[in-house]
Amino acid sequence: MSQTLRQHAEQLFAQELEELQKQDDDKRPANWKLSPQSVVQYLMGGKLKNGFEISPKYIGNKRLMEIAVATLTTDRALLLYGLPGTAKSWVSEHLAAAISGDSTLIVQGTAGTGEDSIRYGWNYARLLAEGPSLNALVETPIMRAMKEGCIARIEELTRIGADVQDALITILSEKSLPIPELNTEVQAVKGFNIIATANNRDKGVNELSSALKRRFNTVILPVPDSMDEEIDIVRRRVESFEKIMELPAEKPALEDIRRIVTIFRELRNGVTLDGKTKIKVPSGTLSTAEAISVVNNGLAMAAYFGDGQLKANDLAAGILGAVIKDPVQDKLVWQEYLETVVKPRDEWKDVYRACRDMSA
Amino acid sequence: MAVHILGIRHHGPGSARNVKDFLEQLQPDIVLVEGPPEADDILQWASNVELKPPVAILCYQPDDPQRSYFYPFAEFSPEWQAIKYARRKNIHVRFMDLPISHQFAIEQEEKKEKDNAAEGPAAINNYSSSTTEEKENEEIEMHIDPMSHLAAAAGYEDGEKWWEHMFEHRHNNEEVFTAVQEAMQELREHFPKKDNRLEQLREAHMRKIIRQAEKEMYSNIAVICGAWHAPALLNMPVQKDNESLKGLAKVKVECTWIPWTYNRLSFYSGYGAGIASPGWYHHIWKHPTDDGTLWMAKVAKLFRGQQMDTSVAHVIEAVRLAGSLAALRHLSKAGLEELNEATLSVLCNGETVMMGLVQQALIVSDRIGEVPVDIPKPPLQVDIERTQKKLRLPATADWKDYTLDLRKENDLERSIFLHRVQLLDIKWGERENVAGKGTFKEQWRLQWDPASSIDIIEKGRYGNTTDIAATRYITELARKAATLRVVCELLEKCIPAELPDAIEILIQQINNLAAASGDVIQLMEVIPNLVNVSRYGNVRKTDAELVLGIINSMITRICISLPAASTGIDEEAAEQLLDLFFSMNDAVNVLQEEDITGQWQQTLLAIATGKFSAPVIAGYSNRLLADYKLLMGDELVNAFYYAMSSASAPALAAAWLEGFLKGSGTLLLLDNAIWSIINDWVKQLDEDTFKQVLPLLRRTFSNFSTAERRRLGEKVKTGGVAILVKTEIGFDEERAKTGIPVMLQLLGLKKS
Repeated sequence: MSQTLRQHAEQLFAQELEELQKQDDDKRPANWKLSPQSVVQYLMGGKLKNGFEISPKYIGNKRLMEIAVATLTTDRALLLYGLPGTAKSWVSEHLAAAISGDSTLIVQGTAGTGEDSIRYGWNYARLLAEGPSLNALVETPIMRAMKEGCIARIEELTRIGADVQDALITILSEKSLPIPELNTEVQAVKGFNIIATANNRDKGVNELSSALKRRFNTVILPVPDSMDEEIDIVRRRVESFEKIMELPAEKPALEDIRRIVTIFRELRNGVTLDGKTKIKVPSGTLSTAEAISVVNNGLAMAAYFGDGQLKANDLAAGILGAVIKDPVQDKLVWQEYLETVVKPRDEWKDVYRACRDMSA
Repeated sequence: MAVHILGIRHHGPGSARNVKDFLEQLQPDIVLVEGPPEADDILQWASNVELKPPVAILCYQPDDPQRSYFYPFAEFSPEWQAIKYARRKNIHVRFMDLPISHQFAIEQEEKKEKDNAAEGPAAINNYSSSTTEEKENEEIEMHIDPMSHLAAAAGYEDGEKWWEHMFEHRHNNEEVFTAVQEAMQELREHFPKKDNRLEQLREAHMRKIIRQAEKEMYSNIAVICGAWHAPALLNMPVQKDNESLKGLAKVKVECTWIPWTYNRLSFYSGYGAGIASPGWYHHIWKHPTDDGTLWMAKVAKLFRGQQMDTSVAHVIEAVRLAGSLAALRHLSKAGLEELNEATLSVLCNGETVMMGLVQQALIVSDRIGEVPVDIPKPPLQVDIERTQKKLRLPATADWKDYTLDLRKENDLERSIFLHRVQLLDIKWGERENVAGKGTFKEQWRLQWDPASSIDIIEKGRYGNTTDIAATRYITELARKAATLRVVCELLEKCIPAELPDAIEILIQQINNLAAASGDVIQLMEVIPNLVNVSRYGNVRKTDAELVLGIINSMITRICISLPAASTGIDEEAAEQLLDLFFSMNDAVNVLQEEDITGQWQQTLLAIATGKFSAPVIAGYSNRLLADYKLLMGDELVNAFYYAMSSASAPALAAAWLEGFLKGSGTLLLLDNAIWSIINDWVKQLDEDTFKQVLPLLRRTFSNFSTAERRRLGEKVKTGGVAILVKTEIGFDEERAKTGIPVMLQLLGLKKS
């Protein structure tokens, strides 16, 4: 087992990618490692002709993935949009891994991201010593992607200031990056494209300018449609987490995951699953990703501080942390939920007791 | 002799193109189409230039028009193309389905059997198209269900999509019909449908028509039918067919062309064999080679019309994305799904809101068909169309709002016409509440539903013009009506429709019913509405005198029997009566007829002084008399003292008080005499009695507004004085005086 805390998608799923490549006889766009059909198959999972099983990476509507992949074959960039925790970065990482075999060309967008992290920066020591030259230039992931014909990723595009965002326009429309200081430019090699992610929940985001918006095709990733879909996602991710973290805990029972997902879905939708009772909605997003981390958290608790078996006590702290983001409002919402919905459910007694002890 | 069987999908543009090409190549000398043979006679109209699809053949039973079938045709319907081809080449074209006359008769029989067998849910279909739906649903089940097995085998999600890609999108049509036939043959063998007599009869009749064509020495016969039936038309079990078709029951059936809309062709209007995207089919029929560019341009135009910036670059990108999606899915060409997904991703930035607009305006579209004016139509329909034209109220598939100013000649006529149509239960317009005051304005929302044709035909038996038909229809309803309320409602609707004859009959009927009715409550219920009706006389030129007359006589009747009706009733009934009193009094005030008011006041007096009147009503009558200033000063005080005297049971006194104070506590605030009476009365109650009446008092006072209650409370605190002083602070007498002349003028006390 490698010493790395978290491996990149292309390392973790190297075998799947290799098998897909072997089987792939569809036409590949220039510099793509796989054909578009195989990329979709890599994301959605399935059985190959030789019986090799590809694990699903994205659980949800296949058509969305098809639109995403098809977009990358055109000269428009892809913008994955949605609530936090709807697998935007996850999809973007796997897309880059499947298409270019490299998901590491990434720019994390923050309010402080400057133009030099998108275009290029300078090594000032060299610049002073040698004067402006290609050697003194510090390449950004995007510049590298252009040179190599790879997919570059930008996380949280809307967090980057509007003036900096617009630096992307030339890159996306002219497919070139001018370096006026050296009177030269970097022209993108075929296969270059950008996948950006952005979430539509946070306040204070910088809306894309319409000029930039036009360079992106938008795919909105929804929260999972059905209960079963969501449980499936949580289960798969928790299992892979266990493997990576080498936790000495036992696998969580499906029933526990079902309960977590139920709580999250009910609070997110503001109504109980049977549609009979209205519930107040807390301020947090309560995404699938958070459900996953609650279970992971519980597993770790069980492994190191418990008897290795996931119990309601181990989960309670995580649930509370995810639900109560606002100490006053959310707490009321949660208590109301606990007393009116959780308490009457017979088989949920342990959850109720654990949560009540925790909030007291 | 050759029979060519062309299995198609109803309303499939690909099938339509294949049929057209195939016929042109084949050059048949007769074309047989799945459809009602009764409509053979009106097929000649198909080549008329004024007949513009979408249209439908309407078959109905003249003596029971609600029993009807619609056979809709769009331009991209294969049947339509076949008929057009035949008319163009001047060769024979015939419908070959089982005659509707038999189908109706069989249905009737089956229904009777069902009704006899189980009395339970007697599925009465009031709405015209439901019979069609049933039939088409059946068909769908048989078509789609087995089809989905083939689709699943080919790796498609549903049968529709599979058919679309296999047959509709195919350009070279060679042997496509043979392929369809073989596929269906296979399906019929593996999924033999339930033993459905009607289906078998239909196919038997189709075969019979084919044989007949052969007998008539046609040598090249083209048969267009639903794909499912295709294999069944190959073998000819002559004897069996003849036997099963022998002696079928029959009813009389008539056919005509009516305009249809794309909206009704779509699934969403509940039409079974519908198609999800008539607008899209229309597009691919008109532009078979479009790679999506033209479609996207249409979408962009639509968006621009909605103030949504959409550049040419957007369109280019969307077409490209649709193309890539199609390639990714191994499709030869981008279909509607790919185009929609591209629209969503590129033009809408992933937001689905605008897609609803695309769905409504382009994918379904609101196209409406036309039929020539001189087509044989029921006379009532002709009259309605003529009036629509004259008054410039075109029948449109999309709704349109009209605001009518009844002071204008044309608008008044429109309003009358719309009211008449509404009286006939033809669903075209809906009257809406108009903003602003005044009775001279009306707001209508009009939307033509092709299925109204059947209502028109049904009402056609009442008369050939809207006014005659409406008059007779109303007359019939009035004769059947058992209660005054129903007749009065009819009268209310008739007045704006200007049907003097009907009104006269209604009034007669009201008179009869009123005379026969011993129930004063029933009379009181209808008075307020009748009074409203009589007010219409101002704007409309209707003579309201008639109505006024009836109101007069009814009020007289009420006044006579009301005092008796107010005695000896329990509390609940009294409460009910009290509400009627309330609206009745309003009605009398609205009328402002001296006679009536006088009568009413006399009645009130009788009730107020009646010893046995229900206390709550007696109290209210006293109040009303006080309002009329007939009971003032000492007299009123006396009446109050009398009712409140300690001899009467506290519960009765409290009920009286509730009636007396109904609706307004202001009297209590202003009139110190009454105030002190009540005050004294409450004061002298001993504790037990007070506890007993407290709920009743509370109930009375809770009806007052918060402001009134607050001021009453203040008055109690201050010991019964000085409650109005506050409002008089800062009162400027000089300024107030300047307003007096205007007030007098307004009140009509002084001429300007």
